[in-house]
This record gives sequence, structure tokens and C-alpha cells, in this order.
Amino acid sequence: MVTMKVSADTAVCLAAGQCALMLPAVFDQRDDDGVVVVLDEEPPAELHDAVRAAVLGCPSGALRVDER
Amino acid sequence: MTRPQLPFDRPNVLDIAPLYDVLRCEAPLTRVTTPAGDPAWLVTAYAEAKQVFGDRRFGRSHPAPQEAARVSHAALLDGPSGNYETEEREHTRMRRLLAPAFSAPRMRRLAGRIEELTERCLDDMQAARDARPGVAVNLHELLAFPLPVLVICELLGVPYEDRAHFRQLSGRIGMIDGGEDARAAMAEFRAYTGGLAEAKRREPGPDVISDLVAAQAEDPTFTEDEVARLAAGLIFAGHETTSTRIDLGVLLLLADPGRRDRFAADPEGEVGPTVEEILRITAPGGLGLLRYAHDDVEVGGVTIARGDAVIISSNAANRDASVFPEPGEFDPDRRPNAHIAFGHGAHVCIGANLARTELRTVFPALLRRFPTLRLAIGVEDIEVCNNRLTGSVDEVPVTW
Repeated sequence: MVTMKVSADTAVCLAAGQCALMLPAVFDQRDDDGVVVVLDEEPPAELHDAVRAAVLGCPSGALRVDER
Repeated sequence: MTRPQLPFDRPNVLDIAPLYDVLRCEAPLTRVTTPAGDPAWLVTAYAEAKQVFGDRRFGRSHPAPQEAARVSHAALLDGPSGNYETEEREHTRMRRLLAPAFSAPRMRRLAGRIEELTERCLDDMQAARDARPGVAVNLHELLAFPLPVLVICELLGVPYEDRAHFRQLSGRIGMIDGGEDARAAMAEFRAYTGGLAEAKRREPGPDVISDLVAAQAEDPTFTEDEVARLAAGLIFAGHETTSTRIDLGVLLLLADPGRRDRFAADPEGEVGPTVEEILRITAPGGLGLLRYAHDDVEVGGVTIARGDAVIISSNAANRDASVFPEPGEFDPDRRPNAHIAFGHGAHVCIGANLARTELRTVFPALLRRFPTLRLAIGVEDIEVCNNRLTGSVDEVPVTW
């Protein structure tokens, strides 16, 4: 089974929040500055496609996903 | 060979000019002539569009603004903007300040209110039909235009009663051939938002313009002009763009009864991917987004010289067949659908979450209320306004 590890570089994040809108089960944003918060660092398999799409769509390139 | 001149002719409101495909097949970047008659690079390929959007060596300012290529005679995206020395710092400040107001959690809290406002617009559509049975209802006037205006007014703290005023100003600002009149309208718009900011200073409210003036009070480098400019930009971008996507999305859904029925059968299940495909394939505006090179930069096999203007056509990039197979086909089942309708990189649309929340509300609500909705005229008979930055339509006649 593929395990997925999601991380975010908060120094690169632009706080556009597209990930948090598309996939609220995995991503959120800080109240004060909108910077990304990863809620679920190892999301379940049924969310993997959506996580990959969020990473692909991230406008700043702050999101990273490692699969093994 | 003479350089092609923007804007290119499009066959109808749902398709883009075929010339974009022709140019992209030859090269990802092409030398073109702007509507103002100056030279610029046009990016039509997806990978290079993302590359330019993502590279901080491309900015909105110009090292020598008086020498910069001009794009159009509108009062926005017409030429360089901002100060070359301070652009990045000011842009970062603006993003930090505004990002929390458009965050996903905030937008989710706003969603219920957007639903109420949508239902109110749908009531108005029904009332219009009851008042004159047998006459088509103009969805643009009763839904696509007022809904984003109602929402942005609430979010920014702008009086809805002023809509006729900023509507005519927005229209004039966005005319590609507007010239003097577009600039006069922009000055008037900034005077209007400057007045709003002044009112918020005296009496702050729970809104974005009040946030802006509060931040300004803390920062001596943040001028009143800058606040007025930002507020005008937010009002303009906050309604024109979303209005156009609603118009074009409705046209797209109704142009094919099978498409409409599939959506109407399961609006909640279909809405996410349908909105993404609407964002990918609808093509507002006749030009694209503008950058100037702050350094010599290699992109797509050519060297863009420092100071050159680059126009990025997201509309063309979103139909790049190497990324989106059968790009002209509306297909909500595309996975992934990593379109760049909101741009990419440091300048990515700050209102993307707001726009998505509005679009995800409006289409299901519309087809739940009027499942037999159809166009009263053919798509090819809808007039295309190619001379406006946001490429809007004025009429979407529907019946049910």
C-alpha cells in the first residue's frame, strides 16, 4: 500500500488558500496570516488523488508530497 | 512576416481565437503587436505560462516606465504599474494584509450568506418572468451581474446603492480603446474609494476596507493613494471577473441539453469538477496578463530582454493539448485539471477562493430552482465584447 506524507514550506506559502478550499480535510489556513496548516500529514488513500491535485495546483510551490 | 496584433478575432463567445492554437503549434512564445501598437511577447503554452508567472524576474513594474511597451488604452493592464525599486516589498505587504480576508475558512463562513443572496437573485428572475410571461429573462442583468456585486459590497463594506456608479466607471476603465476617458474613469473611481476609506476611518466596520485603513494607520509608507488604488482594484476585480464566469458558465451548461441534464441530476456531486472545467475552458478578456522582464530571461527557447513586455494568455494556456487532451471539449471528468485561470505564482488571484465559493453556489442553486432552464437564443447570436479587458457579455437571455 502506498503511504503518503504531506508537508508544507510555510516560508514559501503565499496564503492563497486554494488547497484549504479544495481539500479542507487535509489543509487549513492560519487565522492571522492565512499561511497553510497541514491538518493530516498522512491522508487516507481515498484522498491521494485530491492531495496530488492540490499540490499540482499550489500557486507558490509550497506543498510537497512524498509517496512510498 | 508581420506580427499578429491583439486582440484576435474569436468565432463566438465560448471559443477562443483559432490563431492561439496556430501560434502555439509554432512556438510557446510569439512576438506580437499589442492593441496599442507596441511589440510584446505572447505566451500561449501552458508550461511557459506557468514558468513566467512563477519567475520573480517578471514583474508589473518596468525599469524605465517611460520607455515601456504599452499594451492597450484601457486604464488597467495598459502598461507598467508600481515602482520598480519597491514593487516586491509593496506586493508582499498587500498580500499579507489581504490574504486572511479571502482565506478558505472565511469563505466557508461567507457561503451561507452567498446562498441567501443567490436565492434573492433567483426570486428576481422568477418575478421578471411572472411579470412578462413568454418574454426571455436576461440572466446577466438579474443574476450574473448583481450577485458578485452584492457579495463584494458586503465583503469590502461598499454601499450596494453605489453600484450604478462603479458599474459605469468599471466599464469605462476596462475599455481597451478607452484612452482619456478610461483614465478619467479611473481617477473618478479612486476618488470614490478614497472617500469610502475616509468614511471607514471615521466609522470602521467589519470589512476589508476598514482593515486596509487600520493597517495604513500603522504604516507610514502606506499612502492614502495606495489604499484608494487597492480598494478600486478589489471592487473592479471582485465583480467584473466573476460576473463574466457566471455568464459564460451558464452559456456553456445550457449550450448542450445533455450537459445541463447531467449537472441538474446531481448538482452537489457535479459542482466541484464542473466549476473547475468552467474555469479552464471559459475565456474572458481579449488579451491576457501583463509582465515586464526585470532581467534577461530564457523562456521556451528564446531570450526575453530586460524591459520587454510579456502577455500571458491563460485562456490559450488552458487549451494547450499537451496538458489537456481534446482541449476544446467541455469535460468535467478531467483529472487532474490544473488550469491557470487564476494565474500562478506570487501574483495569483487573491480572490480565487471567493470566486470558487460563488461559482460553487450559483450553478447548483440556479439549476435546482429552474431545472428546465434553456437559452432563448443561440450561443452564436450572443454578442462578444472583445474590446473589454474582462470580455463580458451584456445579455444572456434564458427561459424555462
